[in-house]
Amino acid sequence: MKGTELVIKALKDRGVKYIFGYTGGAIMPVFDEMEKQQILSFIMSRHEQGAAFMAQGLSRASVSAPTPQIGVCMATSGPGAMNLVTGVADAVMDSVPMLVITGQVPTGVIATDAFQESDVVGVMMPISKQTYMPLSADEIEKTLHEAVYVATTGRTGPVIVDIPKDVQLQETGSDYRFDPQKYRPELPGFYFHPSPERENIHRAIRLINKSERPVMFCGHGVISSNAGQRLRQFAEKTNIPVAFTLHGLSAIPVDHPLSLGMMGMHGTVEANRAVVNADLIIAFGMRFDDRVTGRLEEYARETAVIHVEIDPSEIDKNVPTSVAINADVGEALEVLLNNPELMYKPRRLWLEKIGEYRHEVADETRAEIESGVGAEGQLLMKTIIHRLSEITEGKDIVVADVGQHQMISARFYNFQVNNTWFTSGGAGTMGASLPMSVGVKLARPDERVWSVSGDGGFQMNIQELGTIMEHDVDIKIILLNNGYLGMVRQWQTLFYDGRYAGTPMKSPDFGLIARAYNIPYQQVTVPDQIEPAIRAAAEHQGAYMLEFLCDPTEIVLPMVPSGGGFADMIVSVPKP
Amino acid sequence: MTTVIKMKRRAILAFMLDRPGVLNKIAMLIRRKMYNVDTLTVCSTNKPGVSRMTITLREDDEARVTQVIRQIEKVTEVVSAKELNRDESYWREVAIIKLETDGERLEALRKKYNFEILDRRNHELYIVQVAGTTWSIDDFLAEVGRDRIIEIARTGVTAMEN
Repeated sequence: MKGTELVIKALKDRGVKYIFGYTGGAIMPVFDEMEKQQILSFIMSRHEQGAAFMAQGLSRASVSAPTPQIGVCMATSGPGAMNLVTGVADAVMDSVPMLVITGQVPTGVIATDAFQESDVVGVMMPISKQTYMPLSADEIEKTLHEAVYVATTGRTGPVIVDIPKDVQLQETGSDYRFDPQKYRPELPGFYFHPSPERENIHRAIRLINKSERPVMFCGHGVISSNAGQRLRQFAEKTNIPVAFTLHGLSAIPVDHPLSLGMMGMHGTVEANRAVVNADLIIAFGMRFDDRVTGRLEEYARETAVIHVEIDPSEIDKNVPTSVAINADVGEALEVLLNNPELMYKPRRLWLEKIGEYRHEVADETRAEIESGVGAEGQLLMKTIIHRLSEITEGKDIVVADVGQHQMISARFYNFQVNNTWFTSGGAGTMGASLPMSVGVKLARPDERVWSVSGDGGFQMNIQELGTIMEHDVDIKIILLNNGYLGMVRQWQTLFYDGRYAGTPMKSPDFGLIARAYNIPYQQVTVPDQIEPAIRAAAEHQGAYMLEFLCDPTEIVLPMVPSGGGFADMIVSVPKP
Repeated sequence: MTTVIKMKRRAILAFMLDRPGVLNKIAMLIRRKMYNVDTLTVCSTNKPGVSRMTITLREDDEARVTQVIRQIEKVTEVVSAKELNRDESYWREVAIIKLETDGERLEALRKKYNFEILDRRNHELYIVQVAGTTWSIDDFLAEVGRDRIIEIARTGVTAMEN
């Protein structure tokens, strides 16, 4: 068999259905084989970065499926591979499993600065979970199986396989047969997640039972291990409120009586106040990112911390723990739930206190949402997302880009269904939403997908409207256009004396753009049009684009200033 | 004047598969943690396909060192990694030194330092090999006199637990 045939065979054996990518000289043989065999669906993005985010979307959205699929993207050598870099770095930050296949120049000219040559392995090494370069066709199949295995087990992440062109074309008599049941990679450092240690579980339960003011954190690990239901049971069994990281959202319904909503820089008042005043933090599958903790010197210094985390290098990295449980979150929750020592406690005073936090800015926020417009009469993003949430009953999928609209979506969409929220968190890559939503929709074709972007991020990968048009992908695009890079503008308002350097943005006529891609479009300028426009988009079969003209002065609050502590949380707009 | 802060010297010992790119991964990881590596030695072990790496760096914060070790352990090709306790391990290096000195002076140092004369070009130009702790090699260099030294090649620390 030829190397290229083995590439396709390995992908088929691993249940891959879609390949996202862009062809070019060094990967042409694989594309040719794909065309000959016609067993994989190829989605051609308009830029390699788009392909990487489409693959991410597919992986992220299928985490909760009975048979998860891995997102695969493919590009040629040199510039093609380099255009994947941002998508790969983004995937490693958010622990998204992904298989990246790149063509490389033939082995005979590697390291000679050949045409379209880049050191892909060297570039990708620090931003991926593992990199491979098979040097003979014999290695291809095993390498690809190992790559998928490494990407999808333990703390998941992106894996790169860079295949030289001559290796793709090589014939091999290898009779390697992959057996997923017996297979274990020959990588000693790649150990399987340990089961929770009994002593640590016992110590954790003692702390939980003793605690009067505990708070639970729900991180991305809860979504990755499909443990939302068990987390909810644990919260109810112990009567402990739950705060979410950006990626932990949707694990349990946001309006659950014990939910505090999102915490951190743009978290809710109740979540952040609860964290500051807690006597115990129980963190499930999260990494204490600086956007969550604020100033580390002040964070949880007097609070006991139980950290349940699959990756041991995350434990004690930013926040010292009292009890560390190095295990898969789902498995740890199962063990905790089944332990007869675990107690229910009324914690009446603590829950009353949290009730007070909830009311702190609630009236102000409700009034803003109801008004629907800012001082100049333009739409407020929070009203639009609130209405979207009401119309969809919080059951649709939301794929947000990066910026103010992302934080507003995280705050004001009332997530009801597990794994329905996707966004670039750790890396914060503008432009991720549009291509990511393509992968999400292909993974979950029966669910409605809303891609929410700002005018800045949308134009970073606007060319992917071509992919949506060509493959007839049914995505509802919500473009919140305020003529600025809103989040940076917000920082400029609050911390740079209102000097708007590099944030105003003149945009094209998005209606004409939508028409060019044959996508129905509506512009919304007043609150009364919001609901009918969202309903029209929801009911339309196929892609639909809504552009909302928004108030550029809207500020996402509360906000903990970068480098500040929770005590510095800004809860209302400073008056000029 | 710049104040030089002397931090505690640490040795990390790691065993790993003998694969291309592993050294690069570990070096990048340490760089990312903003460490200046003092010494780094890699050699084969008695187990085919497994190499050992001794890294020395300076750090007072125990938690930061633990973090680096956990990150090294996470590298897929790494078998194990740990910090070596200074009191319960041997740290050794070898230096080859080209120097100008007279034979009598060199002979006087022989009892104190473990060195071997590898080459002697004339009455005053020698190439010697010194093996021992970093400090004993430093002392030897100081005693010979830095102005007499033409060239030094040091292996860096390699270490083993008691």
